[in-house]
Amino acid sequence: MKRLPLAALLAAFFIFLALSVSIRQAVLMLVGVGMGAALAGARFGFTTGWRQLIEQRNPQGVAGQVLLLALASLAALPLLGQFSELQAALGPPSVSLLVGAFVFGLTMQIADGCGSGTLYKAGLGVPLNMGILPLFALGSFLGSVHLDSWLSLGQMAPVSFPAEYGTGGALALTLALLAAVLVAVRLWVGAGQTWLDKRWLWGAVALAVLATLNLLLAGQPWGVVYGFGLWAAKVSVALGAFDPTANAFWSQAGNAQRLTQTVFMDVTTITNIGILGGALWVSAKATANSQPLTTQQWVIGLVAGFVMGYSSRLAFGCNIGAMLSGISTGSLHGWIWVPLAFAGTLIGVRVRRHYQF
Amino acid sequence: MSNTHKLQAVFWLGLAAFLSWDFMVSAPVDLRNEPPLIAAGSGQATSGGHCSMVK
Repeated sequence: MKRLPLAALLAAFFIFLALSVSIRQAVLMLVGVGMGAALAGARFGFTTGWRQLIEQRNPQGVAGQVLLLALASLAALPLLGQFSELQAALGPPSVSLLVGAFVFGLTMQIADGCGSGTLYKAGLGVPLNMGILPLFALGSFLGSVHLDSWLSLGQMAPVSFPAEYGTGGALALTLALLAAVLVAVRLWVGAGQTWLDKRWLWGAVALAVLATLNLLLAGQPWGVVYGFGLWAAKVSVALGAFDPTANAFWSQAGNAQRLTQTVFMDVTTITNIGILGGALWVSAKATANSQPLTTQQWVIGLVAGFVMGYSSRLAFGCNIGAMLSGISTGSLHGWIWVPLAFAGTLIGVRVRRHYQF
Repeated sequence: MSNTHKLQAVFWLGLAAFLSWDFMVSAPVDLRNEPPLIAAGSGQATSGGHCSMVK
């Protein structure tokens, strides 16, 4: 589709949301469009960045991600200290988190996209990612259905760095940990590597600004996974296949209420739709090149997408909800998520190679 | 029309169909209770769903 009619469609959707839902949701949709344009325009792939670091000792993607985390933290932590209305992305350290993050990191390499990666690549028109999206939603829903059982295996209360150390202490700790990540990367890649790349840099700056806008407007950090689980939950309820009143997660007041409301009132749904739209807008001038897949690769990719959705719920988020939002709002669970997901990725890149993706 | 373009059409039409169906069957939006444009400084606690939430 050409950019002009696409811009007209997005403008019409903005007006519809402003008139029929709320101005906030309409503006959040535009924030999502910006996220999608930045992710797709810069090809800001968390999955690719990690893979390039492992296979090519190329630090550019991870350096861009560290910059994004640092900028987002520099904005989010003081804002959380200033405005009591704003919520951090606090997930509980738990067995569920350990298993979920590891499996997520493994499967995101096979599916060639994390939560945001799947979204923007689907928006760009990459066939596998378009096929994965509904299965990711189904997996995310089933993960939420089983979450209570996973949590019964062991959990502790969420740990907030600002609550423990104050805003300044949390910021200092977060930046020190990010610096430690860069030192570890430097030890792995060795000397003489080019660390900075224009597209990773502008992508990081743009996404940090948009993530901060999301926090200011919505009152909560950027997330991807919850919206997908909600979509599949609504379809399951409508089909009579799921009774939310009998489930620990979906019978909770907030979740039960959201099942009765239109998904246009859900924050993560609105930014997810915006991301798809923003990536589609980019695809009008820069179509994505993807090699045709064999039947076996399709099956493996789709199964990986489903498991990725399931594990993202156990891990209390994907690269966005757990890593970016968790770390930038001072949640310990974000820092547990990263090494576990990276350990999973070490296996995932090998599986990916084995099946010749 | 290539297979990729067909898949794109199915994907976007499916998404539009889901969103339209959902808007039709869900409870009407109470526009009188519209949240403020900016949550920060509004005095209203946030109540949206997020993947980091246990419940």
